[in-house]
Amino acid sequence: MSRINDVGGMEGFPPVQQELDEPPFHADWEAHVYAINGALIGRGVYSLDEFRDAVERIPVPEYLASSYYERWLRAIGTLLAERGIVTEGEIFGA
Amino acid sequence: MSADHAGPSAAVAARVRRLEALLEQRGLIDSQDLERRLDAFLARATPANGARVVARAWLDDGFRERLLADANAALPEVGLSMGGGLQEQQLRVVENTAERHNVVVCTLCSCYPLALLGPSPAWYKSEAYRSRVVREPRAVLRDFGFVLEPEVQIDVWDASAETRYMVLPRRPPGTGNLDEPALAGLVTRNGLIGVAPI
Amino acid sequence: MPERFRIGDVVRTSQADPPHHTRLPRYARGATGTVAGLLGRHPLPDRRARGLPAEPEPVYEVRFPASELFGTGDHTVTISLWESYLRVVRQTAREATT
Repeated sequence: MSRINDVGGMEGFPPVQQELDEPPFHADWEAHVYAINGALIGRGVYSLDEFRDAVERIPVPEYLASSYYERWLRAIGTLLAERGIVTEGEIFGA
Repeated sequence: MSADHAGPSAAVAARVRRLEALLEQRGLIDSQDLERRLDAFLARATPANGARVVARAWLDDGFRERLLADANAALPEVGLSMGGGLQEQQLRVVENTAERHNVVVCTLCSCYPLALLGPSPAWYKSEAYRSRVVREPRAVLRDFGFVLEPEVQIDVWDASAETRYMVLPRRPPGTGNLDEPALAGLVTRNGLIGVAPI
Repeated sequence: MPERFRIGDVVRTSQADPPHHTRLPRYARGATGTVAGLLGRHPLPDRRARGLPAEPEPVYEVRFPASELFGTGDHTVTISLWESYLRVVRQTAREATT
C-alpha cells in the first residue's frame, strides 16, 4: 500500500517556501533527535531501514500534522517501545 | 541553534530530554558524547565544503574528471570525505553543462549528502518540493527565481537508494581571474542541489 | 551473483503495490527506462525494514523520460533502484561466450 511519504508526482501541496539563512536545526531538541537517532542506529538498536519504515507507519493524520523531526521522534519512540526498551508512557506520559 | 522557549515546542523539547535521560539510564547513549559528536558534525559539515569541491573542479580538469568518475576517491584531494557518519556513503557528483541541468531530490524521505554539506534546508525535506520537482522541475526552478534556458534539458535525480547526489554547477563567465577561495565564494547550497545556477 | 544489467540496458520496474516499506517510488511503478549507472551493492530495504536478512544486491541508476512517468514533461528522472525492482526489456549486445 502506497504510504504517505511516497509523494513524488503528487498534486495538491502548497508552493515551496524557502526560509532565508535558516539554521541547520531550528531548535536544540531537533539536533538532539538527529543525534539520538544516529547513536541508536550506530549501536544496532534498529537499522536505518527500520527507522524509515517506522516514520512511514505513523498514522496519516498524525504524520501530516507533525513537523519533520517530530516524525523522527515519534518513530524512535515506536521502535524503542516495540523492542521493549522504553514504554510509550515513559516518553509521552505523566 | 535556538534555545527552546515556552510554547508548543517546549513540550516536545521536554519529551526529547526525557527520552535522552531514559536512554542514558539504560546505557544506550552518552549525553556528553552526543553533544560532542553533534558539535563536531556541525563544525565539519557545511555547504562551504561543496563549494570548495566545485571551485577545485573548475580550476583543475583532472580533478573534475576524477570527481565525476568516483567522487568518494576524489574528495580527500581537497581534504574532505563522506565519512564521519554511520558509514561512508557513496557520493555522485553530476555536472551541469550547456545542454543539461541537474536537480536533486529524495521523493521518499529527504536523503542528502549530510556528511559533506551538513543538514539539508527545510524546503528540501518538504512535501511541496519532493512532490513537485520530479513532475515539474522547470516550474520549481522558476519558483526559486531561476529561469533556465528552454533549450537546456533537465535531469532530476531521485536519491532513492544509498547514494547521495551533489550538483557541479557551471562556472560563470567572467570569472577567469578569480582564485579558488573566490570561486568557492560564488557557490551556494541551492546551486549544489540544482535549484540555482550556482 | 553478477550484475544482471549493464549501462544501456532497457528495463521495466515492478508494478507491484507492496504492503511494506520499499524504495521504488509509486510514480515509477511499471515504467520503462534505461540503465545509466551502477551504484554498488546493498541489501534490499524492503527486507531490512522488516528485520529480514538480505544479501547485498546491485543498485542501478535508471533514467526515465518524464512522459513515461507522468504522460507529460520534456525532462528525465533518474532514480536509484535495486535490481529486485527491475525486469529486463532489452539488453545491450553482450560479447558471445564460447
